[in-house]
Amino acid sequence: MNTIDTKNAVLCAAGVSKSYGKQEVLKKLDLNIQPGCIYGLIGRNGAGKTTLLGILTGQNTKDSGEVRYGGETVWENRNALQHICFSRELTPNTASGQNALRVKDYLRAAEIFYPKWDKAYAEQLLEKFGLPKADRKKAIAKLSKGQMSMVTITIALASGAPVTILDEPVAGLDVVARELFYRLLLDDYTKTNRTFIISTHIIEEAAKVFERVVILDEGRIVKDEPTEELVGRFAYLSGANEALDAAMAAAGVTALETQLLGRHKMVAVELSGAQRAQLAAADGISVEPMNLQNVFVALCGHGDAQR
Amino acid sequence: MNGILNDQTLIYEQIAQLIEDGILNGEYGEDGQVPSTNELAHVFGINPATAAKGINRLVEEGLLYKKRGIGMFVADGAEKALRKKRREAFVSEEIKKILREAKKLGLTKEELLTLLAKQADEEGMQ
Repeated sequence: MNTIDTKNAVLCAAGVSKSYGKQEVLKKLDLNIQPGCIYGLIGRNGAGKTTLLGILTGQNTKDSGEVRYGGETVWENRNALQHICFSRELTPNTASGQNALRVKDYLRAAEIFYPKWDKAYAEQLLEKFGLPKADRKKAIAKLSKGQMSMVTITIALASGAPVTILDEPVAGLDVVARELFYRLLLDDYTKTNRTFIISTHIIEEAAKVFERVVILDEGRIVKDEPTEELVGRFAYLSGANEALDAAMAAAGVTALETQLLGRHKMVAVELSGAQRAQLAAADGISVEPMNLQNVFVALCGHGDAQR
Repeated sequence: MNGILNDQTLIYEQIAQLIEDGILNGEYGEDGQVPSTNELAHVFGINPATAAKGINRLVEEGLLYKKRGIGMFVADGAEKALRKKRREAFVSEEIKKILREAKKLGLTKEELLTLLAKQADEEGMQ
């Protein structure tokens, strides 16, 4: 698995490991990012999402493995890095105290760093998000959480970088602003067809925007495939306890999650088209579709939701 | 075209279904143009690749055809083919569902047919 696929992928990680002290955060992870695709990166808190994104963009060190952009190593490579924008979540405090940088300082830095920076587009975006001109002189520490997210998003979109990465871009936004963000993202993507990687905890509303989804669990990538192919392979089954067990055994599927309600049993399963048809035809068994959030819980919940 | 997307059915399936419905109800006549991938993506806020997958399913089934550089159009005979396909699906999915439920409720065949006929009369079905 430790091969680098530079033929199709734009950004490749091979055998990447990272530990903080004794805690192993990423475990020999491989990832090949295809060009012209919007990726969703989902994982539970502590799964290693931000660490992975930091390593992909040369902002974090790694213990082993390699990351390449278009065949060139990313680490300390200015040429590669100006094609990759990682717009991190802004925080009111930095390692050296309060974040006293102003919004316009961030915009200026982005303008210097990204060769394809589009100043007029950045202006338009800030206007759409309703961040008044006066607020751009404010220190980051004085902004609301939502306004910080807006600055992060503006920098990502206006960077024009062929690979643009957003870590929890909608965390501070209300539902209307989140809708606006996804719309702006899709409009940008339709025009530029560049690659986006977006991590989020608010899965369901983002699912329809992701062409592919990468699921990170306990430092490993457990799924990396087209969103709808993934979701289409999962289902909830329900029926009388013994009847369901028998039907599942006959079809050869195993439960990822199980809930009992008296003699009635509900299970989450991963199954093929043929297995789905077989179970749907079984008497007294119902087969219901899942959404991406359901799939995520079934795969990464490890039973915690039922405790 | 009308209708909004739900989050329990695959999106590309819903896109294909919406356009099928538009063909069946005459909104898109034969050789009429259907919305583009980008229009669908914009209106529903979905990934263009997903919208394209829905459109492509209809192309593969011969219901739509592509005019290069212009867009997607309804093929000759699409409405008729669609009606046939939907009727078959009606039998294999909807009617089976009704029969299952009827069995669960302990209805006889006779009783079910009487109920169906009565409801059809009430709705003025020919």
